[in-house]
Amino acid sequence: MSRAGARILLGRLAPLLGLVILCVVLALTSPHFLTADNLINVLRQSSVNALLALGQLVVIITAGIDLSIGSILGVSSVVLAMLLRAGAPPLLAVLGTLVLGGLIGLLNGLLLTRLKLPHPFISTLGTMNVARGAAMILAGGVPISGLPEGFRSPFNGDLFGVPAAVIVVGFAGVIVHLLLERTVYGRDLFAIGGNREAARLAGVPVSSRLELAYTVCGLMAAVASLVLAARMNSGFPLAGTGAELDAIAAVIIGGASFFGGVGTVSGTLIGALFIGLLRNGLNLLDVSAYWQMIVIGMVIVAAVVVDVLRARQGD
Amino acid sequence: MKPPLTPIVLSLALAFPGCNRPPEKKGIALVTKAMDSEFWLVLADGARAAAAEHPDYELVISAPDREINVDQQVSILENQVRRGVKALIVDPAGTAQVNSTLEQAVARGIPVVLIDTDAPFEKKSTYIGTDNAKGGSLAAIGMVAAVGATGDVVLISGVPGNESQDARARGFLDEIAKTPRIKVVAQQPGNSERQLGLTVMENLLTAHPNIKGVFATNDQMALGAMEAVEARKLRGKIAIIGFDATKEAASAIVEGKLTGSVAQSPREMGRQGVLAAIALAEGRTVPRLIDTGTEYVDAKNAAKYAK
Repeated sequence: MSRAGARILLGRLAPLLGLVILCVVLALTSPHFLTADNLINVLRQSSVNALLALGQLVVIITAGIDLSIGSILGVSSVVLAMLLRAGAPPLLAVLGTLVLGGLIGLLNGLLLTRLKLPHPFISTLGTMNVARGAAMILAGGVPISGLPEGFRSPFNGDLFGVPAAVIVVGFAGVIVHLLLERTVYGRDLFAIGGNREAARLAGVPVSSRLELAYTVCGLMAAVASLVLAARMNSGFPLAGTGAELDAIAAVIIGGASFFGGVGTVSGTLIGALFIGLLRNGLNLLDVSAYWQMIVIGMVIVAAVVVDVLRARQGD
Repeated sequence: MKPPLTPIVLSLALAFPGCNRPPEKKGIALVTKAMDSEFWLVLADGARAAAAEHPDYELVISAPDREINVDQQVSILENQVRRGVKALIVDPAGTAQVNSTLEQAVARGIPVVLIDTDAPFEKKSTYIGTDNAKGGSLAAIGMVAAVGATGDVVLISGVPGNESQDARARGFLDEIAKTPRIKVVAQQPGNSERQLGLTVMENLLTAHPNIKGVFATNDQMALGAMEAVEARKLRGKIAIIGFDATKEAASAIVEGKLTGSVAQSPREMGRQGVLAAIALAEGRTVPRLIDTGTEYVDAKNAAKYAK
């Protein structure tokens, strides 16, 4: 194998390698870590971030960013809880929530492509605040608790010992993977992220593809809200505050590039799992609050450093 | 060159709601840490009710988006000081960070009333709120009663550095130390957020499967911890005690899912805050410390808080 080839392979394997090292460290330091119960627990805890990160991945591949997903998660969970509490059949409430998330995502896309805002950082920053405010207004500032079992059990139960939340992530992962790797839409998204102008000249319908990417991202945030609301037995306006940052971290730790054009579903899921394991390990080891912030901050910076180094090698 | 129209349009839009304002009233500002839970809403209600009885004063209530946005609170305070309010009622999100702004206020002759969270700010006119350390010790007494005189318990605390939640944790730890056979085996941050309360509790149950109780320094985290306990079907086996006695927590106590909580009187804080502010604006003095009281809430008395 050529040296360049080895480097690319190492770049691909870096996230997995990081995950394995973290697991070994945690297994050696905490007797409670390496138990089936705890590992299933980490999977469940990581599921909301994994769903958000899958949406974020699609956007980051286009060299974009979506800061509004935490707020979309919040407003979706509130609307979901309101629909359920108003007596809507669970299936209808779920569909309504998904449509809402998709529409907010589409709005993000339209702000970017039709209003020609200079960068999705701006449009989604706006949506982030608007959606959070809407969640607060709708819920009157307080959580809406006590959701019907008919809604909770399909999303919060277990299937042969596997949490339903993890199955939802698995489904979503397969669908996003197929979208990115097996369809013309996916290929276009990578092309836009690689070089937007070249993609446009090659006849890629850049605007409609970007609108699609942000719609998928909003939709995934709504899916995440289903899992979260079932887990918390409530919809609450503060849900997902700051969650966009964990999702971005998961995507970047998973080997996607902030510069666009690079990223995989498997890497992103590993990234989400990495963050979940890290938080779990810090709790198990009873690490103090202050050190937790430092450790998490350092890991995120380290992941971006890897990304920058990789981009430099690519030049 | 195109004239920069946007700022003009925006300013006009902002000015519009203020067009038909009656003659100037004397302004008082209430600035809380956030407006995202029942606690703040009730506090604001109490303040509004008190202000309504004094028609020559106008009460403005504002807050940052989240408790953790201390710098946003500082900006809000600066704006209120510049606007020239007659008194400032503040629930400091960061007790150190707001100091210099409060100094400015006092330098301009604006009296500062601290509510809910005390700050080491010498020139405050008064502090009105809960004795949080005392509330923490009430929770510890409730914990000892619930788990018996022996066993392991854990503590889930708020945003690190948040004075009132730190005081609750301290009060709890000091009181629980008096029962040497109850051991606090872990103390982890839940940042006052429900979602994190759930996650942290799951992890603590894994690390310390034999714990008999958890104290969370606010109800949001206690309700999150409660979902973790419910999911493991441990209801009744683990005592869960929160702080605030919100309506939701009180209902959970009535249902037997939550063991207890410590009630504060946010309505009283809001009311007393406004009354003190008006008194100070009119040149009267108020006591340096006004304790609005705490009460331990459990199955015996939860019903009145659940309404």
